[in-house]
Amino acid sequence: MIYPFGEGRQRWIPYLLVVPGLLLYFMIALGPSLATSLYSFTDASGTPGGEVNWIGLDNYDEFLFAGQAALDNIDALERTIIFSVVVSSMQFGLGLIVAILLTQGLPGTRFFRTLFFMPVILGAVIQGLIWRLFLYPLGGPLSTFLEQFGMYSEFLGGQDAFWWVVVVQIWANMGITMVIFIAGLQTIPEELYEAAQIDGASSLDSFRYITWPMLTPAVNTNLILNIIGSLQAWILFLVLIGYRPGTQVLGYIIYAQGFGATGASNAPLRQGFAAAASIVLFIIVLIVGLTTQYLLRRREERLLG
Amino acid sequence: MKTLRPITFMLVLAMVAMLSMQIAAQDSVTLRILVHQNPSMVTFMEEFNEEFEEANPNISIDMAVVNANDLGTVTQTRLAAGDVDIVSTTAGFSNSVQDYMEGANPPGWQVLIENGLLYDMSGQPFLENYDPVSYQDAGSFGDGIYSISLGRTVYSGIFYNKDMFEEFDIEVPTVWDELVAACETITEEGIGCMTAGGADGWPIFVGAYGILGSLFPDQAGYTEGLWTGDIRYDDEENLVMWERMQIYARDMMERGASGVPGDAAPGRFASGAVAMFPGGSWYAPAIEDADPDFDWGYIPFPGSDVEEDNLAWFGKYDQGWMVAADSPNIEAAMTYLTAFSETENYQEFVNAVGFIPTQPDVTLDTQLGEELTPYLDNFIVGWEQYWVTPTGAGQFALPYASFFAPFNEFDDPAELAARAQSDLQAGLDEVFGTE
Repeated sequence: MIYPFGEGRQRWIPYLLVVPGLLLYFMIALGPSLATSLYSFTDASGTPGGEVNWIGLDNYDEFLFAGQAALDNIDALERTIIFSVVVSSMQFGLGLIVAILLTQGLPGTRFFRTLFFMPVILGAVIQGLIWRLFLYPLGGPLSTFLEQFGMYSEFLGGQDAFWWVVVVQIWANMGITMVIFIAGLQTIPEELYEAAQIDGASSLDSFRYITWPMLTPAVNTNLILNIIGSLQAWILFLVLIGYRPGTQVLGYIIYAQGFGATGASNAPLRQGFAAAASIVLFIIVLIVGLTTQYLLRRREERLLG
Repeated sequence: MKTLRPITFMLVLAMVAMLSMQIAAQDSVTLRILVHQNPSMVTFMEEFNEEFEEANPNISIDMAVVNANDLGTVTQTRLAAGDVDIVSTTAGFSNSVQDYMEGANPPGWQVLIENGLLYDMSGQPFLENYDPVSYQDAGSFGDGIYSISLGRTVYSGIFYNKDMFEEFDIEVPTVWDELVAACETITEEGIGCMTAGGADGWPIFVGAYGILGSLFPDQAGYTEGLWTGDIRYDDEENLVMWERMQIYARDMMERGASGVPGDAAPGRFASGAVAMFPGGSWYAPAIEDADPDFDWGYIPFPGSDVEEDNLAWFGKYDQGWMVAADSPNIEAAMTYLTAFSETENYQEFVNAVGFIPTQPDVTLDTQLGEELTPYLDNFIVGWEQYWVTPTGAGQFALPYASFFAPFNEFDDPAELAARAQSDLQAGLDEVFGTE
């Protein structure tokens, strides 16, 4: 095979062209990740000039095994998994349904496509503000509606707060799932549906034997993004309900410990400890992500050859 | 040649102008200040900053305001980034690690000092305006003075609507049963008894600190007792506390209090939506701003059955100024603090924000001052300023009323008491190596 990039010094061109990207990746992604790994074995507070001592696995020991606090961390992990499962599945399902509807050529398609995607571009703070106003228990829109039926809820201030964050998370990100599915649906040749119709296939048959298999790349992309994104999500918890016992997810614990935001008076920064917690979360996300990717790739090969 | 003269003249003029601007730019500084969201304090600061800039044309003020929940975090990150000159604290130099607190992490302010991030203000002339006890108690570490305390606040009181009390013939409660009866009378009239800025989280449990204080007036001793095991969350006396906290959270707080933003709560109280508002004395200016004609009073939270136990204020040293050690504008910062500390300016500040003054020549010349005075000799630093949670303790190892429904999962005081003790004991076992 002829080397496409020439001979002599020209052979180095592709490697040189990759260097800037690699440097950027190292500075922004790989470098901080390696630094976090090292930090996790220290008692670093994160304050510049502060003494940093190597403490080995002490942070991991505290996070996973030290007293009730460790059990609370495990509870947070369980909550994170529940959050991820519910958000991923509902966001996936709703995104698919909406995408199918918006590719039928119905009136108002462009308007609704924009409407459903708008939350994605708002950002977490605006998303949170909108929902805090909507869920205001003293005369907010939903509160007023429920009162007509003699019902009441504290919403974000009550015991259902966690599930309201699930709702907001789905609302905030469903637009991305929808857009990816729309792109996937638009690549399916119309002729396949026409041929199926001629053969007497129903709508359900068309979906099951044409749409679903042909959407495999989009399905895989959405599942990976939804699962990994929801496992790491925490900002809406910060904006909507704050650091409240019994509601935190792992990502929020990492932030709170790292930046002294646990609500305690004069709480110290503990970035070495937070780094250890983030490595634990990374390992979980890595295992789940790789497993999901493997299973999805096998499915893709089976369906599409 | 003739045409060159005007051109040359204009070029020289332009160069002189540019040089002047550069010199002026080098002399002018922008002083970056970080404060927390307290509406009356922010309003005062904006007016003060404007006057200061007029008096000091070479100093411009860039003040950033953050939510009180985020102040600690933002302070530390901006100090770390060298992105701020003057910062503030809302709790003084409290929560120090005591001898009995095995394995406890030092508080954030101590870490900042030990890492050389805070400027030592010892010897600054403006310190003479302040009561030395205030900066010794709330601003010193080692031999240095790193914060000037701007005042004390009370957080164990209840604001009450005088007109509503008169309308429903309610006497000002002096013991717990009277408070319960007053709330029942009010709610029977279809009016909420109390509100708090529950959306911000902390106002719910801080509002109940009066219950904690009146039952355990030796707050430092309470903290030590919990650590040493002499006091347990599930002992008889604490069970009374938990029972009363449940009544406060479930029956006294209006429905929906969890959704009220912190800044909106004073206005909601002043509007007459509720009869009482348990919270810090710092809310007084906001209540008056909401309705200057509103007739209110402020009393110690009567959490005890014994009237004599309900005659103290529990609170803290509140806001204090600190300066970034590596600030390039130390001189400007000292000029700013000197101006702020002048008696006239400090008097205006104190009246605006409702702080108990830390300057001996200044008095709180407001209605709040009158309300606080009868019990001011019984000012006790509150539990929150002593407490450090043992490493390994669970998240319920705190005497918080907000753990009760509707704000959290607990319906039974005994169950919460057991859980709180269990969570605390887990931490104590971890740090002391006991089982």
